[in-house]
Amino acid sequence: MRWTPLVACLAAALLLLAPAGAALASPCEAPAELLDSGMPLPAAERAIAEGALRILVVGSASVMGPGTSSPAHAWPAQLAANLRDGRPGLAVEVTVRGGRGLTVAEMLPILQGATAPPPHVVIWQVGTVETARGLEPDWLGGRLTEGLEGLRERGIDAVLMDQQFSRFLRANADIAPYQDAIRIAAAAAGVPLFPRYELMRHWADAERIDVERAPRAGRTAVVDQLGECLGQALSVLVLRGAAAVQRN
Amino acid sequence: MDGTAHAAPAAAPREGRRPRDLRADVFRGLALWFIFIDHIPDNWLGHATLRNAALCDATEVFVLLAGYAGGIAYGATLDRDGWLFAAAQVVRRVGSLYVAHIVLFVMFTAQVGYSAAALEGAIYIDELHLDAFGEQPYRALLEALLLRFQPAFLNILPLYVLLLLQFAVVLPLLRRPRLLLGLSLALYAATRLLGLELPTWTGGGWFFNPGAWQLLFVIGALIGYRPPGGAGAPLRLPWRRWAGWLAAAWLSLGFALLFLAWHRPDLGQAAPRWFVALLTEVDKTGLHPFRLISVLALTYLLAHAVPAGTPWLRGSLARPFLLMGQQGLPVFCSGILFSFFGRLALEYNDRVIMQVAVNAAGLFCLASVAWLSGWYKQRERARRMQPEPIPPGRPA
Repeated sequence: MRWTPLVACLAAALLLLAPAGAALASPCEAPAELLDSGMPLPAAERAIAEGALRILVVGSASVMGPGTSSPAHAWPAQLAANLRDGRPGLAVEVTVRGGRGLTVAEMLPILQGATAPPPHVVIWQVGTVETARGLEPDWLGGRLTEGLEGLRERGIDAVLMDQQFSRFLRANADIAPYQDAIRIAAAAAGVPLFPRYELMRHWADAERIDVERAPRAGRTAVVDQLGECLGQALSVLVLRGAAAVQRN
Repeated sequence: MDGTAHAAPAAAPREGRRPRDLRADVFRGLALWFIFIDHIPDNWLGHATLRNAALCDATEVFVLLAGYAGGIAYGATLDRDGWLFAAAQVVRRVGSLYVAHIVLFVMFTAQVGYSAAALEGAIYIDELHLDAFGEQPYRALLEALLLRFQPAFLNILPLYVLLLLQFAVVLPLLRRPRLLLGLSLALYAATRLLGLELPTWTGGGWFFNPGAWQLLFVIGALIGYRPPGGAGAPLRLPWRRWAGWLAAAWLSLGFALLFLAWHRPDLGQAAPRWFVALLTEVDKTGLHPFRLISVLALTYLLAHAVPAGTPWLRGSLARPFLLMGQQGLPVFCSGILFSFFGRLALEYNDRVIMQVAVNAAGLFCLASVAWLSGWYKQRERARRMQPEPIPPGRPA
């Protein structure tokens, strides 16, 4: 009973602080350097200038947005929405191909088969399946180089996306060599790497979006939020990549 | 790098046992510590390990120095007690490594299963089929016993087991170094050119291809072995200024490549694409020649820059690493166990406090294991030699 005044004071303080804290930053706020790869996206730049941008998303399970309340909350759909918001008048078309458990080798034919009409930008989400199954990192690197080389020859821009941040994955799979392989393949091909792992870790550290720690009842909302923030960050990366061409 | 530092590391005294080369112990201890750190993803100290600065990492150093220690120890046994005895000693080591590997496998598997169950319902993690054991338990158990199923982080021990086994077979060839090196090089070349590999159950080859990595072990053994009669090591590389410059130039080139393709890909854009793309060719599984040359160049420079009697090797800062290097096997096995606990701790919480705690506790535990193991062996040896009426034999 002696504690009552203290508890009341604390509660009052919390009530006062909470809205202020929430208003401080958008949940999707991220360090600028994570979204500015410095790598140009020339095909995207031309497409945006012409008013129609076709994006192909290829990846494993996460491209389908498992755990979201609706497909519209998955990051590919959110990417399209954010691009349309950012560039009113731009016709944006995002196609999604892929599925659960696909390795990069199984995605190569999807990349090659995307011809009618070919996309301007391919967002290639890779690495999770290889990490989880413990396939050789060098093998992953080789297939990535092969795929990126093919896209470059066809004049299609590519963006690589790495694994999701997950404490479970990090504790139980040797994720570092796979991250290295992705990073090196992107650098060697001169394509931007969308650092999904780093972004999600940042949001988890800031206690904004933490899917693994979210209570079960609120998890869908958190996954939706994640899709929204990833889509937003990705649209920033694409637009900055296109702008980097004009600067040169 | 003054003139006095250039003495070849092979200056062994003529009488009896040669003194331990403390440099090998200290650097092996460091490598074991780096392996512990690199086995904990997102550990901040991971930015300070060898892999950030060179085209090789602690694994290469560890295998080279394991060969070096093996060349000294089993080479001496070979000359004293013959091949069969020495081979039996190696096989005994292999036995303890194998048991350690299986124990760790059981622990990891139990933990993965438990963690995965605790995350039930987290659909987004659905594609992470880490739990091969849960799907086909009997098969997974069998494949693990055959070393064909190596879950993450459990890939160095199987490599070590195989390297030691083949070492037991080729032990007598230590006396015919050219033949041994030739055979080893031939196997390395065949492995790389023909794409030979040991298959795993989960697809692909071993994470570390033993056919390629044996070369590093053999080179280490040939540097370490001392034939009876006071002759130097079969493989000696005396200091040459030009070779030193070449080694330094190679390591700088490796760092430049790493810097442009890995640390700062944005700057790497300014470099020619073929140069940055070189790094995509450098595989670790098959010990790419770049990695092999890097670790040999590093060893060459360090072996000549740090003479055998350097005082800091006996200093208090080097002491934990000295102890760790001298007790390589128990420290290596327990290091894999400690890094497992470290990963669990960071899975729970990866804030600064926990990072500091994990790294401090990790180093303390590794050094403690080393101290205890060394102390125990010393006591055991002393006791064995004391009560016996028979005159003490050769030092064990």
